[in-house]
Amino acid sequence: MLKIVPFIAALTLLTSTAIAHHGWGSYDAAKPVTVTGPILSSKFENPHATITVRGSDKVWTVTLAPVSRMTSRGATDKVVAVGRNISAYGYPSTVEKDEMRAERITVEGKTYEMR
Amino acid sequence: MVGEAPAIFVALEQSGFASAIRQSPWLYPAANVGHIVSLLFFAGTVTVMDVRLLGGFAATAPARVLAGTRRLALAAFAGMALSGFILFSAEASHLVLNSVLQLKAALIGAGLVNVALYEFMAKREVEGLPPGAIMPARARIAGLLSLVIWIAVAVCGRSIAYF
Repeated sequence: MLKIVPFIAALTLLTSTAIAHHGWGSYDAAKPVTVTGPILSSKFENPHATITVRGSDKVWTVTLAPVSRMTSRGATDKVVAVGRNISAYGYPSTVEKDEMRAERITVEGKTYEMR
Repeated sequence: MVGEAPAIFVALEQSGFASAIRQSPWLYPAANVGHIVSLLFFAGTVTVMDVRLLGGFAATAPARVLAGTRRLALAAFAGMALSGFILFSAEASHLVLNSVLQLKAALIGAGLVNVALYEFMAKREVEGLPPGAIMPARARIAGLLSLVIWIAVAVCGRSIAYF
Protein backbone atom coordinates (compact mmCIF):
# COMPACT_ATOMS: atom_id res chain seq x y z
CA MET A 1 0.00 0.00 0.00
CA LEU A 2 2.79 2.41 0.94
CA LYS A 3 4.31 1.93 -2.51
CA ILE A 4 1.57 3.90 -4.22
CA VAL A 5 1.90 7.00 -2.02
CA PRO A 6 4.85 8.51 -3.94
CA PHE A 7 3.10 7.91 -7.24
CA ILE A 8 -0.09 9.59 -6.10
CA ALA A 9 1.94 12.48 -4.67
CA ALA A 10 3.79 12.86 -7.98
CA LEU A 11 0.59 12.77 -10.02
CA THR A 12 -1.03 15.30 -7.70
CA LEU A 13 1.90 17.68 -8.19
CA LEU A 14 1.75 17.20 -11.93
CA THR A 15 -1.93 17.98 -12.18
CA SER A 16 -2.44 20.60 -9.46
CA THR A 17 -1.60 23.54 -11.70
CA ALA A 18 -3.38 22.14 -14.71
CA ILE A 19 -6.35 24.50 -14.63
CA ALA A 20 -4.14 27.51 -15.34
CA HIS A 21 -4.08 27.44 -19.11
CA HIS A 22 -1.06 29.31 -20.33
CA GLY A 23 2.38 30.18 -19.19
CA TRP A 24 4.00 33.51 -19.79
CA GLY A 25 7.29 31.98 -20.83
CA SER A 26 6.98 32.90 -24.48
CA TYR A 27 6.35 36.61 -23.75
CA ASP A 28 9.18 39.01 -22.99
CA ALA A 29 8.20 40.77 -19.75
CA ALA A 30 11.44 42.74 -19.84
CA LYS A 31 10.30 44.67 -22.92
CA PRO A 32 6.74 45.84 -22.27
CA VAL A 33 5.02 47.68 -25.11
CA THR A 34 1.97 49.88 -25.33
CA VAL A 35 -0.02 49.58 -28.54
CA THR A 36 -2.52 52.35 -29.19
CA GLY A 37 -4.89 52.58 -32.13
CA PRO A 38 -8.12 51.40 -33.67
CA ILE A 39 -9.25 47.76 -33.43
CA LEU A 40 -9.18 46.22 -36.92
CA SER A 41 -10.60 42.80 -36.08
CA SER A 42 -11.95 41.17 -32.97
CA LYS A 43 -12.47 37.54 -32.05
CA PHE A 44 -14.32 37.24 -28.75
CA GLU A 45 -13.54 33.54 -28.45
CA ASN A 46 -12.02 30.92 -26.15
CA PRO A 47 -9.40 30.06 -25.10
CA HIS A 48 -8.49 33.79 -25.34
CA ALA A 49 -10.09 36.74 -27.00
CA THR A 50 -7.80 38.20 -29.66
CA ILE A 51 -7.87 41.50 -31.52
CA THR A 52 -5.72 43.16 -34.13
CA VAL A 53 -4.80 46.80 -33.54
CA ARG A 54 -3.28 49.31 -35.96
CA GLY A 55 -0.48 50.67 -33.82
CA SER A 56 1.77 53.58 -34.73
CA ASP A 57 4.43 51.23 -36.10
CA LYS A 58 2.55 48.17 -37.36
CA VAL A 59 -0.53 46.01 -36.97
CA TRP A 60 -0.33 44.04 -33.75
CA THR A 61 -2.17 40.88 -32.80
CA VAL A 62 -3.14 41.39 -29.18
CA THR A 63 -3.99 38.33 -27.10
CA LEU A 64 -6.46 39.15 -24.34
CA ALA A 65 -8.04 36.96 -21.63
CA PRO A 66 -10.56 34.06 -21.67
CA VAL A 67 -14.02 35.37 -22.53
CA SER A 68 -15.55 34.59 -19.13
CA ARG A 69 -12.88 36.67 -17.36
CA MET A 70 -13.22 39.49 -19.89
CA THR A 71 -16.98 39.53 -19.39
CA SER A 72 -16.82 39.44 -15.59
CA ARG A 73 -14.48 42.46 -15.63
CA GLY A 74 -16.71 44.41 -17.95
CA ALA A 75 -14.52 44.06 -21.04
CA THR A 76 -17.33 42.62 -23.15
CA ASP A 77 -17.35 42.03 -26.90
CA LYS A 78 -18.82 45.52 -27.29
CA VAL A 79 -15.82 47.06 -25.47
CA VAL A 80 -13.30 45.35 -27.77
CA ALA A 81 -15.39 45.75 -30.92
CA VAL A 82 -13.97 46.64 -34.33
CA GLY A 83 -13.45 50.40 -34.74
CA ARG A 84 -12.97 51.17 -31.05
CA ASN A 85 -9.79 52.93 -30.05
CA ILE A 86 -7.77 50.91 -27.59
CA SER A 87 -4.55 51.18 -25.68
CA ALA A 88 -3.05 47.81 -24.74
CA TYR A 89 -0.10 47.45 -22.37
CA GLY A 90 1.60 44.09 -22.49
CA TYR A 91 4.51 41.95 -23.51
CA PRO A 92 5.66 41.04 -27.01
CA SER A 93 5.76 37.38 -27.99
CA THR A 94 9.16 35.82 -28.42
CA VAL A 95 7.62 33.24 -30.78
CA GLU A 96 4.90 34.90 -32.85
CA LYS A 97 5.82 37.91 -34.96
CA ASP A 98 3.87 41.10 -34.14
CA GLU A 99 1.91 39.42 -31.35
CA MET A 100 1.67 40.66 -27.78
CA ARG A 101 -0.17 39.54 -24.69
CA ALA A 102 -2.03 42.30 -22.90
CA GLU A 103 -1.56 42.84 -19.20
CA ARG A 104 -4.25 45.54 -19.27
CA ILE A 105 -6.27 47.44 -21.84
CA THR A 106 -7.80 50.91 -21.79
CA VAL A 107 -10.86 51.72 -23.89
CA GLU A 108 -12.51 55.15 -23.72
CA GLY A 109 -10.78 56.06 -20.48
CA LYS A 110 -11.65 52.82 -18.70
CA THR A 111 -8.93 50.31 -17.83
CA TYR A 112 -9.52 46.58 -17.66
CA GLU A 113 -7.02 44.15 -16.11
CA MET A 114 -6.49 40.99 -18.18
CA ARG A 115 -4.65 38.92 -15.60
CA MET B 1 1.30 30.11 -39.07
CA VAL B 2 -2.00 28.53 -40.08
CA GLY B 3 -0.51 27.89 -43.51
CA GLU B 4 2.22 25.60 -42.19
CA ALA B 5 -0.11 23.00 -40.68
CA PRO B 6 -1.36 20.00 -42.67
CA ALA B 7 -4.63 20.82 -44.40
CA ILE B 8 -6.72 18.41 -42.36
CA PHE B 9 -5.86 20.25 -39.13
CA VAL B 10 -6.52 23.65 -40.68
CA ALA B 11 -9.89 22.30 -41.84
CA LEU B 12 -10.60 20.96 -38.35
CA GLU B 13 -9.85 24.34 -36.75
CA GLN B 14 -11.99 26.14 -39.31
CA SER B 15 -14.91 23.71 -39.00
CA GLY B 16 -18.24 24.71 -37.52
CA PHE B 17 -17.57 22.29 -34.68
CA ALA B 18 -14.33 24.06 -33.68
CA SER B 19 -15.92 27.50 -34.11
CA ALA B 20 -18.72 26.47 -31.79
CA ILE B 21 -16.15 25.43 -29.17
CA ARG B 22 -14.38 28.79 -29.38
CA GLN B 23 -17.57 30.83 -29.40
CA SER B 24 -19.29 29.03 -26.53
CA PRO B 25 -18.56 30.73 -23.21
CA TRP B 26 -18.60 27.41 -21.33
CA LEU B 27 -17.63 24.58 -23.72
CA TYR B 28 -13.87 25.16 -23.75
CA PRO B 29 -13.59 25.66 -19.96
CA ALA B 30 -15.86 22.63 -19.44
CA ALA B 31 -13.59 20.49 -21.63
CA ASN B 32 -10.59 21.81 -19.70
CA VAL B 33 -12.14 20.76 -16.38
CA GLY B 34 -13.41 17.49 -17.89
CA HIS B 35 -9.88 16.65 -19.04
CA ILE B 36 -8.55 17.06 -15.50
CA VAL B 37 -11.40 15.15 -13.84
CA SER B 38 -10.92 12.30 -16.33
CA LEU B 39 -7.19 12.43 -15.61
CA LEU B 40 -7.85 11.95 -11.89
CA PHE B 41 -9.79 8.75 -12.53
CA PHE B 42 -7.37 7.56 -15.19
CA ALA B 43 -4.29 8.16 -13.05
CA GLY B 44 -5.93 6.58 -10.02
CA THR B 45 -7.09 3.42 -11.74
CA VAL B 46 -3.96 2.98 -13.85
CA THR B 47 -1.77 3.40 -10.76
CA VAL B 48 -3.74 0.68 -8.94
CA MET B 49 -3.39 -1.64 -11.96
CA ASP B 50 0.32 -0.95 -12.35
CA VAL B 51 1.04 -1.38 -8.64
CA ARG B 52 -0.77 -4.75 -8.76
CA LEU B 53 1.31 -5.80 -11.78
CA LEU B 54 4.46 -4.77 -9.92
CA GLY B 55 3.47 -7.08 -7.05
CA GLY B 56 1.73 -4.63 -4.71
CA PHE B 57 -1.60 -5.41 -3.00
CA ALA B 58 -0.21 -8.96 -2.83
CA ALA B 59 -3.08 -10.26 -0.70
CA THR B 60 -5.58 -9.63 -3.50
CA ALA B 61 -6.41 -11.83 -6.49
CA PRO B 62 -4.88 -10.07 -9.55
CA ALA B 63 -7.89 -10.82 -11.76
CA ARG B 64 -10.32 -9.19 -9.31
CA VAL B 65 -8.29 -6.00 -8.91
CA LEU B 66 -7.47 -5.65 -12.60
CA ALA B 67 -10.97 -6.36 -13.90
CA GLY B 68 -12.51 -3.90 -11.46
CA THR B 69 -10.16 -1.06 -12.32
CA ARG B 70 -9.96 -1.74 -16.08
CA ARG B 71 -13.54 -0.65 -16.75
CA LEU B 72 -13.12 2.67 -14.96
CA ALA B 73 -9.72 3.23 -16.60
CA LEU B 74 -11.26 2.72 -20.05
CA ALA B 75 -14.13 5.11 -19.25
CA ALA B 76 -11.64 7.70 -17.97
CA PHE B 77 -9.50 7.28 -21.10
CA ALA B 78 -12.59 7.87 -23.24
CA GLY B 79 -13.30 11.03 -21.22
CA MET B 80 -9.74 12.25 -21.73
CA ALA B 81 -9.87 11.50 -25.44
CA LEU B 82 -13.16 13.35 -25.91
CA SER B 83 -12.23 16.40 -23.82
CA GLY B 84 -8.75 16.42 -25.34
CA PHE B 85 -10.18 16.37 -28.85
CA ILE B 86 -12.39 19.37 -27.99
CA LEU B 87 -9.43 21.33 -26.60
CA PHE B 88 -7.26 20.34 -29.57
CA SER B 89 -9.89 21.21 -32.20
CA ALA B 90 -10.21 24.82 -31.04
CA GLU B 91 -6.54 25.50 -31.85
CA ALA B 92 -5.65 22.53 -34.06
CA SER B 93 -3.55 24.31 -36.68
CA HIS B 94 -0.92 25.57 -34.28
CA LEU B 95 -1.19 22.82 -31.65
CA VAL B 96 -0.36 20.17 -34.24
CA LEU B 97 2.96 21.93 -34.83
CA ASN B 98 3.75 22.04 -31.10
CA SER B 99 6.66 19.68 -30.48
CA VAL B 100 5.49 18.81 -26.96
CA LEU B 101 2.04 17.86 -28.22
CA GLN B 102 3.67 15.70 -30.90
CA LEU B 103 5.74 13.99 -28.20
CA LYS B 104 2.61 13.53 -26.08
CA ALA B 105 0.77 11.91 -29.00
CA ALA B 106 3.70 9.54 -29.57
CA LEU B 107 3.79 8.64 -25.87
CA ILE B 108 0.03 7.95 -25.84
CA GLY B 109 0.66 5.63 -28.79
CA ALA B 110 3.43 3.90 -26.83
CA GLY B 111 1.14 3.59 -23.79
CA LEU B 112 -1.55 1.92 -25.92
CA VAL B 113 0.99 -0.44 -27.51
CA ASN B 114 2.12 -1.38 -23.99
CA VAL B 115 -1.52 -2.13 -23.08
CA ALA B 116 -1.93 -4.26 -26.22
CA LEU B 117 1.29 -6.19 -25.55
CA TYR B 118 0.17 -6.90 -22.00
CA GLU B 119 -3.28 -7.98 -23.12
CA PHE B 120 -1.87 -10.44 -25.69
CA MET B 121 1.23 -11.65 -23.88
CA ALA B 122 0.64 -11.52 -20.14
CA LYS B 123 -2.99 -11.01 -19.23
CA ARG B 124 -4.08 -14.65 -19.36
CA GLU B 125 -1.20 -15.78 -17.14
CA VAL B 126 -1.55 -12.90 -14.65
CA GLU B 127 -5.29 -13.21 -14.21
CA GLY B 128 -4.99 -16.90 -13.43
CA LEU B 129 -2.68 -16.25 -10.47
CA PRO B 130 -3.90 -16.66 -6.89
CA PRO B 131 -3.42 -13.98 -4.22
CA GLY B 132 0.18 -13.77 -3.00
CA ALA B 133 1.71 -15.28 -6.16
CA ILE B 134 4.93 -13.78 -7.51
CA MET B 135 4.14 -11.65 -10.57
CA PRO B 136 5.84 -12.76 -13.79
CA ALA B 137 8.57 -10.51 -15.18
CA ARG B 138 6.55 -9.51 -18.25
CA ALA B 139 3.76 -8.25 -15.98
CA ARG B 140 6.20 -6.22 -13.89
CA ILE B 141 7.76 -4.73 -17.02
CA ALA B 142 4.33 -3.79 -18.40
CA GLY B 143 3.37 -2.18 -15.08
CA LEU B 144 6.60 -0.20 -14.81
CA LEU B 145 6.44 0.94 -18.45
CA SER B 146 2.83 1.99 -17.96
CA LEU B 147 3.69 4.17 -14.96
CA VAL B 148 6.64 5.81 -16.70
CA ILE B 149 4.78 6.39 -19.97
CA TRP B 150 1.58 7.81 -18.48
CA ILE B 151 3.45 10.11 -16.11
CA ALA B 152 5.46 11.35 -19.11
CA VAL B 153 2.17 11.92 -20.97
CA ALA B 154 0.91 14.03 -18.04
CA VAL B 155 4.15 16.03 -17.96
CA CYS B 156 3.86 16.71 -21.70
CA GLY B 157 0.20 17.65 -21.39
CA ARG B 158 0.93 20.26 -18.77
CA SER B 159 3.92 21.56 -20.73
CA ILE B 160 2.18 22.17 -24.07
CA ALA B 161 1.16 25.71 -23.13
CA TYR B 162 4.76 26.67 -22.35
CA PHE B 163 6.26 25.78 -25.74
